[in-house]
Amino acid sequence: MRWPWDRAKEDLSEELESHLKMAISERVARGEDPAQAQAVALRELGNMPLIEDVTRERWGWMWLENLLRDTCYALRGFRRNPLFTISVLVTIALGIGATTAVFSVVDRILFRPLPYADPGRIVSLGFVHSLERQEFVMGRFYVEWQKDQTPFSVLAAQSTGVHNCDLVEDKPAQLGCISFQANFLPLFGVSPVLGRNFLPEEDRPNGPRVVMISYGLWKSHYNNDPHILGRTINVDGDFARIVGVLPKDFQFPTLEQADIVTPFALDPAVQQTVNGGFGYPERVFARLKPGVGVVEAYAQMQPLFNDDLKLFPPSAKSETHLSIRTLRDKEMQDVRLVAWVLFGFVLSVLLIACANVAGLMMARGAGRQRELAVRSAIGASHGRLIRQALTEALLLSFAGGLAGLAMAQALIMMFVHLAPTGIPFIGKANLDLRIAVFAALLSCICGVIFGLATALQKPGLAALNAKASMSRSHAFLRRSLVTAQIAFSIVLLSGAVLMLRSFSKIEAQDLGIETGGVLTMKAALPWWRYNTDQKVKNFYLRLETSLRRLPGTFAVGMASSIPPAAGGSQSFRFSDLVVEGKPPTPPGIGGNVTGRSVTPDYFRALNIPIIRGQNFAEQDRTGDEREAILSRLLATRLFPNEDPIGKRFQSDGFRGGAGTIIVGVADNVKNNGLTDQSDPEMYTLRRSVSDDWSGNRLIVVIHSVMPASTIQPWIRSEIASIDRTVPVETEPLNQTISRMADRPRFETMLLGFFALTGLVLAVVGLYGLIAFMATQRTHEIGLRMALGATRADILRLIANDGLRMVVVGLALGLGTALTVSRILKALLFQISVYDPLTYIVVPLFLSLVALVAVLIAARTGMRVDPAVTLRAE
Amino acid sequence: MIESAKYRNRIELLQGTLDMLILQALQREPMHGYAIAQIIRNRSGEVLTVETGSLYPALHRLEKQRWVKSEWKLTESKQRAKYYQLTALGKKQLASDHQRWLQLVRAIGAVMEPEVQQ
Repeated sequence: MRWPWDRAKEDLSEELESHLKMAISERVARGEDPAQAQAVALRELGNMPLIEDVTRERWGWMWLENLLRDTCYALRGFRRNPLFTISVLVTIALGIGATTAVFSVVDRILFRPLPYADPGRIVSLGFVHSLERQEFVMGRFYVEWQKDQTPFSVLAAQSTGVHNCDLVEDKPAQLGCISFQANFLPLFGVSPVLGRNFLPEEDRPNGPRVVMISYGLWKSHYNNDPHILGRTINVDGDFARIVGVLPKDFQFPTLEQADIVTPFALDPAVQQTVNGGFGYPERVFARLKPGVGVVEAYAQMQPLFNDDLKLFPPSAKSETHLSIRTLRDKEMQDVRLVAWVLFGFVLSVLLIACANVAGLMMARGAGRQRELAVRSAIGASHGRLIRQALTEALLLSFAGGLAGLAMAQALIMMFVHLAPTGIPFIGKANLDLRIAVFAALLSCICGVIFGLATALQKPGLAALNAKASMSRSHAFLRRSLVTAQIAFSIVLLSGAVLMLRSFSKIEAQDLGIETGGVLTMKAALPWWRYNTDQKVKNFYLRLETSLRRLPGTFAVGMASSIPPAAGGSQSFRFSDLVVEGKPPTPPGIGGNVTGRSVTPDYFRALNIPIIRGQNFAEQDRTGDEREAILSRLLATRLFPNEDPIGKRFQSDGFRGGAGTIIVGVADNVKNNGLTDQSDPEMYTLRRSVSDDWSGNRLIVVIHSVMPASTIQPWIRSEIASIDRTVPVETEPLNQTISRMADRPRFETMLLGFFALTGLVLAVVGLYGLIAFMATQRTHEIGLRMALGATRADILRLIANDGLRMVVVGLALGLGTALTVSRILKALLFQISVYDPLTYIVVPLFLSLVALVAVLIAARTGMRVDPAVTLRAE
Repeated sequence: MIESAKYRNRIELLQGTLDMLILQALQREPMHGYAIAQIIRNRSGEVLTVETGSLYPALHRLEKQRWVKSEWKLTESKQRAKYYQLTALGKKQLASDHQRWLQLVRAIGAVMEPEVQQ
């Protein structure tokens, strides 16, 4: 291979050559003997290669030449030792890849500022109680707070939740609508990308009808039309003028998706009267005044809140609290814990990887002492040796880093693909170069430090003769590294196994309902056309009749919600139930009760057994009596040692009249999500009177012997024959439940993946060290064998060394795992953080794997032939 | 290793002076390395011998600083040799080196033999 400077080098050689020739010819001209002249001239000239070296240094680009030479040399070395090279590369790639991928995902959740101006000072505030854990404020109180509050520079309200709305035009579309106040966007420091925010006069009752649209709607529906402003559109039958387009990256602080925003148009007078004088609930956000923290703000709002509380019904008083949270706390909620755990896992993997790289580099350095001694003896300067070691470490880190980046990209794509909905921002995760560089630097530093550790000791002459030997301090350091790796793996594995056990409990639990062959269906009725309960009822009753006619249909039930998802809006307090002839339960006692309004076939469709009394009868749907079925749990709570059948009770919703009669008791079902404790439950009969059909949220449950793929198109066509504009969603219940387990599945999978990565790395480290030590001790082993040691003795000798590290590592790891696993508590389902099985299985498994690694490595030592090793001296 | 340090030391010791001597040698006409060494040796009455190990590093350094430029030519005895030639920059450098050298000699002289001065 010709380098660009080879010409210059030849030039220099020729120059010196010509110098020499001139010197000789001059001596010959003076009459000296040619042979002697040449010898003298050569002596005068001195060490020619050295002169060339020194001269070349004047050129100023020696370093580049050296670098390339070192690189070639290092590459040759790597080729000669592929096992070492591959182990280091894989280790670095895994370390960098995993860290970068996970950091890229958790970065937005944990570290990156939210996309608002000075987001740390924006808070969400309001009431919370056991039935609604997200802050809300009743309109009446909001009006007062705006007037009387002190800690905030501005407050702004947004409507609770996105509601379906219809865009009525040639290209109709069902959209999500939301509303906020005119000062909402300024509070977040956001301005429309096109047009303007609402004006104060538009944000008033009966103000001019205007809307802002989302960037997504502008792009998809209006093709980024620059003349969109001022256009009048028909939303749910009302005409409104578009005044602005929200920015592309704008996100609602509630993380909801909405296409159309209308002015909130708060009417203080109306808020005093509607909803029992409380006004409508809304989401309120505020910006803290400079110098005011969340704690101070809380203290300053407490008196206002206490005044409001006096107006609350007694049953709600004790359960309602004031809550002020920073926006990040609100948006990230429980994801934060998972993110931190994941981050911790990955940092541990990175540490294990670094320890591995360090161990490998040290082993290589120790193995090369003889080579280094030789190079030093034939004139390589100390600096050159160090440079060489550095070049190797950097090359490895660089190549490993590149592989790591590729791996990170692949992992991120996998995460995004597998991630369940509800993990904020995961779709936006992309490769974070800052962290890739950080991880690369870290592994690079590991490599460099430990690569240098060996190169820095100038090998003495002794190393020339002696078989390569590892110095005592290095041996200790490497042993400690491997021990630490094992300890770390134990911690990671324990965490992962706990998660796995918890997940299997989630999967295996009895939900109390049958899910096979059950299909759920939701129809999104446009409220502005189905604007009376009568119209809603008629739609669903027609639908029920036509669905029942479908072949293979076993039962068609209708319900306001479906377990095991948490009940939500239909829940009420236990203390709201008043059984006739019994004293009422004091407020604040008994927790929540899930309420569901169902048709008689609901129980057949989900195969929920009626264990006492009987199911609602079809003919009762047209009757006058209000009927209820209690869950077993509710029945025992309300009527311990009594027969509940035939008893009557009043509930907050239907006070007065004859009350509700209990006709049966159904078995318990899981009704508060997959992992939370189930609540007692009450089913009320959904009769065919308009009152029972308010609320417009209904799920149809179809139990059929036909496969879902067959029945789904039938359902669609049945609905289309009633009203072809209604959008429909159908999903097998199995799938719904499986989706609910996505979060724990995803978490378990990720943690499991990293724990296994850590384990593999640690075992590779252990194997490497034992194998290395066995090779180092060939001479000693040969001697022992010559003196009569059996192969078993040798195996024991080598394995003992490894097993000692394993045992110490196990002990340390178990101790640490027991201490830190408490962090996982909130993520575990029906599994103690001290789950004995986990802490037995994990060490056993790791010991087994470690034992295999040690034995395989020790075999190298066992195969020593004393005749060969002793003669090698 | 040790030898190379020795060379370096000598270059360092002579550095400024050697540069000046070389530049001065080249003042009249372009010359190759061997001739430069000979000239310095002859003119100094065989007192100053420039080692090859100092001469060529110095020449290459001067060339890098653009005080001299080089080209391959044939000598009178039809041999290829690399000739060095003073550049304009080199002439300026020589003048200033020479100036400094004179100052130094005068100053050292004044210190060593004060009575001569008075």
